[in-house]
Amino acid sequence: MKVDIGPVTRLEGHLSIHTTVENNVITKAESLGEMFRGFEVFLRGRDPLDAQQITQRICGVCPYAHAIASSYAQENAYNLVVPANGRILHNLIQGANHLFDYLLHFYQLSALDFVDVTAILTYNGPDAEVTALRDWVKAETGAKSPFPAAPFLPRLSGRYMSDAKTNITALKHYIESLEIQKKANKASAIFGGKFPHATAIFPGGCTQEPNIDHISSYRSLISDVRDFIHKKYLPDILAVAGEFPEYWHIGQSRGGFLSFGLLPFGPELDSNRLFAPGVLLENTITRVNFDAIREDVKYSKYSSPSGLTVKEGELTPSPHKPGAYSWVKAPRYQGKVMEVGPAARILVDYHQNNNPKIKQLVDQFAGIAGITADNLNSVLGRHLCRAISAVVIADFLLEETERIDIQAPFMARYDIPESGEGFGATEASRGALLHYIKISDYKIEKYECVVPTTWNCSPRDDQDQPGALETALVGTRVENPEEQIEANRIVHSFDPCLACAVH
Amino acid sequence: MIDRREFLKMAACLSASFGITQLPGIVQAALKKIDPAGVPRLIYLQGQSCTGCSISLLQAESPNAVSMITQYSKLSFHADLSATSGKQALNLIEEYISGRAGEYFLAVEGSIPWGMPEACVIGDKPFADYLTAAAKTMSGAIAVGTCATHGGIPAAEGNLTDAVSLKEFYKRKKIDPLLIDIPGCSVHPDWVWKTIIHLVQVGLPELIDGQPKLFFSRRVHELCPRYHDFQQEIFARKLGDKGCLFKLGCLGPETYADCPTRWWNGGQTWCIDANAPCIGCASPLFAAKKNFPFYTSFTPGAVEFTPSAVDTSKGKE
Repeated sequence: MKVDIGPVTRLEGHLSIHTTVENNVITKAESLGEMFRGFEVFLRGRDPLDAQQITQRICGVCPYAHAIASSYAQENAYNLVVPANGRILHNLIQGANHLFDYLLHFYQLSALDFVDVTAILTYNGPDAEVTALRDWVKAETGAKSPFPAAPFLPRLSGRYMSDAKTNITALKHYIESLEIQKKANKASAIFGGKFPHATAIFPGGCTQEPNIDHISSYRSLISDVRDFIHKKYLPDILAVAGEFPEYWHIGQSRGGFLSFGLLPFGPELDSNRLFAPGVLLENTITRVNFDAIREDVKYSKYSSPSGLTVKEGELTPSPHKPGAYSWVKAPRYQGKVMEVGPAARILVDYHQNNNPKIKQLVDQFAGIAGITADNLNSVLGRHLCRAISAVVIADFLLEETERIDIQAPFMARYDIPESGEGFGATEASRGALLHYIKISDYKIEKYECVVPTTWNCSPRDDQDQPGALETALVGTRVENPEEQIEANRIVHSFDPCLACAVH
Repeated sequence: MIDRREFLKMAACLSASFGITQLPGIVQAALKKIDPAGVPRLIYLQGQSCTGCSISLLQAESPNAVSMITQYSKLSFHADLSATSGKQALNLIEEYISGRAGEYFLAVEGSIPWGMPEACVIGDKPFADYLTAAAKTMSGAIAVGTCATHGGIPAAEGNLTDAVSLKEFYKRKKIDPLLIDIPGCSVHPDWVWKTIIHLVQVGLPELIDGQPKLFFSRRVHELCPRYHDFQQEIFARKLGDKGCLFKLGCLGPETYADCPTRWWNGGQTWCIDANAPCIGCASPLFAAKKNFPFYTSFTPGAVEFTPSAVDTSKGKE
């Protein structure tokens, strides 16, 4: 039977999944990106310095990642020498955005796949906010409301966590995380100007000076976030894993892993990074080569040529193209399907022994959960890799503040060159993010973005190879084929952002 | 300009048309404990959006997002928060839009691809179809963010979808529903949530050009704490300088919003405090034209503004 489980909620944007289910097992899945804007077209002819502003509007969840990728691309195009402080401020802004994004993803976007909201009705503890929420749910369910306790109910049918205490703790943290995510965003806004959509990020640094007033506020806010990560976020993931251990083995993508590396240690973009870049394919790591990326459009709604490199990129929308089912293109690395995101970032680093802390954390939690590093390619693996990333990034950000020289420059000086080109590569929270800018006559001649969810939620490519999410869904057993909470859990583990994927 | 008495009278009429039966006075309203049964439901739909406005709404400070969602409004559907999904979610939306589930306000984030309806689809149906159907049943609509109020970035010059604002969409459809525009890329959470509180407790807020006067009556430039620098001609000349950011291209003189007094992220900061020129994200012309870049003086021949070029005398009346 064919079942459309879209629109899938609790993710960014417009995603549908068309599945074929036989004997309660998904045998085929198609991922459909359903919203198109065309950034790469309307960026042409604009001032190059508009780019880090406009590309932030690709995504309001991870705008800073786009600002940073665009800044890197422009720095390369302008041949900029970036002051050490400028790079540190970029890192402080981007790193804090990752912490916000991981918390939002686990609590607001994923937790309701596992946590039983109705457990709150049994609460009789002292917490005022939980009590208020309980009374609200009670009033809602008693008031003949058409959809009581929306948006938290109704929900898909399936098994939820059984232990009342664990559920209530998770719900308490759902509420608390909303306060903590604000702290991460306040921290990034100190140097970004505001969140979402920072105005203070530029190629070569940012416009806010790193004085003690700002640095001490930043440290205090990040310390509070770090505390929550250790005391609540990590234990909550382990609690979910304790009740749903089968999800260490559900939702494996069947391709390679790609990471562009995150948070450089020095002002030069080829400095070592906190998370190393690399391609992991059949247990072998290779260096990233941007020219090995091609974007297929056989099943994407574009009439422009298929298989173009990033530098050649073209975009001609064709909404009624026969056979096409998605606005997302199908990027492939050397023709291979790639998963990007937290699991890719951690695995690529782990297999290179780049960051000892990552190796230690992976081994520690694999031991606790009784899994191997290979199981990070799974629903729970992706959740755990976000939490490990959060731990590593929070520590790094606090250390990074100590490397600021408050007397030194924090912003490069420059004029826009008449012509130039450059790649900018980083990791958004959702994975590998690449921007490319080509400037001629002081204007943007070409701008291309290859974005994390473009990889993960891609449709089939010219060789009919399904995308990473499509492969991860196939073979999944679903109790209720009409609703498929199991498939929803897999989709959510990728943290799709469709505004990013299509842009 | 109407006086307060006339305004309240008007608000009462409008509130009655929303089905809000009791209209307390402003002072009473501020003190009144909200009756959850009287709080309107909110159906929040996204068009050509980036979700930045939704994320901004979660940054609300007082009241915070949980209170806003459960106590001050009843957010019955939001794609980023709703537990429901798939057909179950479509059914919920349909129950409201058909009018069967009772009174509701529609909140819309993002623009509408007028020229290419397939460029925004929810559950195999163009987003535009939901808006047309909802116009017959909703109490009113709130356009959240500059994409919804003016087209914003998706409507930038050279776009391929003919992206339009909610107001323009309904105008072209020859429908005239009650609309409140809350611009900003992204919106400030207060601008949206407090407009909703106003709707619930007092009635329709006073609007200028469709925007709540409470937040959008004066220009960033007029309220700017660096206005003194502007008068003294103490200008930032390069990125990262302090002083008035006018010569770097600051669009504060063109933009109506209360950022200078409200600040962002719970009062932590705002663009100009971070020495970042205002890019006019709440302005109708935000990012609209290729030949009007956000910043000046970085390419040869760039126009340098002079203070006399701007009329800073008055805000909107």
